[in-house]
Amino acid sequence: MLKGKLKLPDKAKRAFPDRLGSLVAGFEDKEDENRGSDLVFESGEELETIQPNGYGSGGESENDEDDEDYDEKVDRESDLRVRPKPEREGPGSVSVLAAIAADDKRSDLEYELSQPEINLEKLQRIASSGLPDGGGLRATAWKLLLGYLPPSRDLWEKELIENRLKYAKLKEELLVSPSQLTRKKVGALSYCDHPADGVVAGPLKRHEISEEDHPLSLGKASVWHQYFQHTEIAEQIDRDLQRTHPDLKFFSGDSSFSRKHRESMRSILLLFAKLNPVIRYVQGMNEVLAPIYYVFSTDTNEQNAANAEADSFSCFVRLLSDSVDHFCEQLDNSAVGILSTLSRLSELLKANDEELWRHLEFTTKVKPQYYAFRWITLLLTQEFNFQCIMRIWDSLLSSPYGVQDMLLKICCAMLLCVKSRLLSGDFVANLKLLQNYPDINIEHLLQVARDLSSDPSTYRLSLTL
Amino acid sequence: MVLVLALGDLHIPHRAPDLPAKFKSMLVPGKIQHIICTGNLCIKEVHDYLKTLCPDLHIARGEYDEETRYPETKTLTIGQFKLGLCHGHQVIPWGDLDSLAMLQRQLDVDILVTGHTHQFTAYKHEGGVVINPGSASGAFSSITYDVNPSFVLMDIDGLRVVVYVYELIDGEVKVDKIDFKKTTAAHSAH
Repeated sequence: MLKGKLKLPDKAKRAFPDRLGSLVAGFEDKEDENRGSDLVFESGEELETIQPNGYGSGGESENDEDDEDYDEKVDRESDLRVRPKPEREGPGSVSVLAAIAADDKRSDLEYELSQPEINLEKLQRIASSGLPDGGGLRATAWKLLLGYLPPSRDLWEKELIENRLKYAKLKEELLVSPSQLTRKKVGALSYCDHPADGVVAGPLKRHEISEEDHPLSLGKASVWHQYFQHTEIAEQIDRDLQRTHPDLKFFSGDSSFSRKHRESMRSILLLFAKLNPVIRYVQGMNEVLAPIYYVFSTDTNEQNAANAEADSFSCFVRLLSDSVDHFCEQLDNSAVGILSTLSRLSELLKANDEELWRHLEFTTKVKPQYYAFRWITLLLTQEFNFQCIMRIWDSLLSSPYGVQDMLLKICCAMLLCVKSRLLSGDFVANLKLLQNYPDINIEHLLQVARDLSSDPSTYRLSLTL
Repeated sequence: MVLVLALGDLHIPHRAPDLPAKFKSMLVPGKIQHIICTGNLCIKEVHDYLKTLCPDLHIARGEYDEETRYPETKTLTIGQFKLGLCHGHQVIPWGDLDSLAMLQRQLDVDILVTGHTHQFTAYKHEGGVVINPGSASGAFSSITYDVNPSFVLMDIDGLRVVVYVYELIDGEVKVDKIDFKKTTAAHSAH
C-alpha cells in the first residue's frame, strides 16, 4: 500500500529536524502529518484516561479533533501499528496546522537544547507556548529554566554529579535514625572485646553514656530528641503523600512502584523540613513537589530518571525559594507575605477589568483570601488535572518576569475567563465556582494571561530564578 | 528501630506512692512502641497510666497484682527477637540464673525479662539474655530495703539490641548502655 511506502521518508524526516522538510511534506499529503503529530501524542500514556468519543485530557486543542472517528479508522490503520488518527477534513484543517506547529516546536526545542551554549531567552519563549510530553525534553527544559543546569552544556555533567553527591551526603547526615547513628559510633569499639559468638556467659558489660545519648533524653542537643520532634512532621508528610493525586498510578496505590515514589518524595520533603526549621513542612508542599518529581522520573534518559530524587530536591528548593514567604505565618501581614500578594492580585484585576473587580470586592464581597490562597501557595496544582498542570507550569517557569508574576496573571485570567458566571452569581455561588474551578481550554487561559496588562510596580526582571 | 520499655515491681500503692518524678518526666507517650511489665503493679490505675504511654502493653502476673487475669508467662516476637516475660516469684531460687535459664529454654526465647528481686541485672547465659529491670518505683522487696528505682529501655534494631538502663541514684538519673548482637547460629539443640 502506498501508505506503507510513504512512511519511510517520514521517519527520516523526524530523525533530522529539518523544519522546512516537514512543512513541505505536510502540504503534500494529509496522511503524513497525522504521523508527524504522533510524536506529540505517544507519550504520557500513563497519564491518559481514555475516553471513547470525547475530548482528550485537558484543554489542549490538538487532542480534541483527534478522538473523532476513532472506531472507524481502527481497522484501516491497524497495520501501521500506531495510534489511529482520523483523516482531517473540514474542521480538521485547523489541526493540520496545529500538528505541524507541534512537530515544529519539538524540533525547535531539540535544536535549542542541543546547542553548546543555550540561549535562555529563546528557551523561555519556546517553553511558554508549551513543552512536548514524553522524552526528556520537558525535564531538561525545566531544569534549565529553574537554573539547576547552567546554560553551557559542557558544565552539565559536572554540575549534576556534584549536586547528586551533595544530596546523597545530606540524606546520610540528616535522615538516618538515631539507632543507626549509635551503631556507627560504637561500631569499631565494642565489637573488638566481644568474642565472635555468645559462648561468653556472665554479666553483660555496662557502658556509661552521656545525658543525651539515650532515647528518652529531653535535651535539645540530643539526637534522639530531635528525631522524635521530627516524627510528627514525618507522620504529617506520610498522610499527605497518601493523598497526593489518588487517581494517578504513579503516586497512589500499593504497588512497589508507587511506594518507591512516595518514599523518595518523603525523603525530599523531610530533608527540606529539617533544613528549614522556620517553615518546616506545610501541607501542600507535596502537591508542589509532585509535578517536578513526576517529570524528572519519567525522563527517558535512564541516568536522569534514576537520580530524579536528587534533582527534584534541588529544583523543588529553587522553586519554593521564590514563594517561601507565603508559607511563613509570621510574615502573613508583612509586605512579602501572602496577604500582600493577594492584594496585588486584586490590584491586577482592577487594572484589567474594573467591573468584575468591583463586583467581586464590593457587591458579592468575595475577597481573594477565600479562593486564591490555595491558587497562589500551591501554584495552581489543585485546580486543574495533572496534564494541565504541566502545561501551566511550562508557562510559569518560562516567564521572563518570574514565576510569581505569571502566577498572578494566570489567576487573574482565571477570573476573567469565568467573568459572566461570576457577574451573575452571589457570594455563595461565586465562592463555589472559584473553589472548584471548572474545566476550560488551557491554551485560551494562558493566552488571556499573556495579554493582560500588568501592574508596572510588580515587575521583577529575573531571567533565571 | 523499635523501642521497648521493660519495667515492673512498682507495688503501687502498697509499698510506693508513685514512680519517681524524674522518671515520669522522661516517660512521654509517642516514643515507645511496646511495654513489657514484669508484674506487681498492683492496681488498675497503674495499668491505665502505662496504657497511655503506649497502647501495646504486655503484663505478667505478680503475686500482689489485684488483676487476676494477667498470664503467668508471656512470649512475644519483636523484630528478630523473641522475648519472654514472667514475674519471677515462680522461679525458685529467686533470681537464680540456672533456674531462669530453664524457664528461658521452656519458653524458647532469646531475651527473658523477669523481676521480683527488685535489683537490676543483665546476664548473658547459655545463648540467651536474662534481664531484670528492677523496681521502677524503688519499692522494698522481700529481701532488701535498699532498692534504687530502675527500669530498662531496649532499642531493637535488626539483629542488634541496645539496652539502656535508667537508674535513680541519689536523686539523679543515671543512664547506662548495654550492647549485644544476636548470633544467627542461635540456639543449638542442647
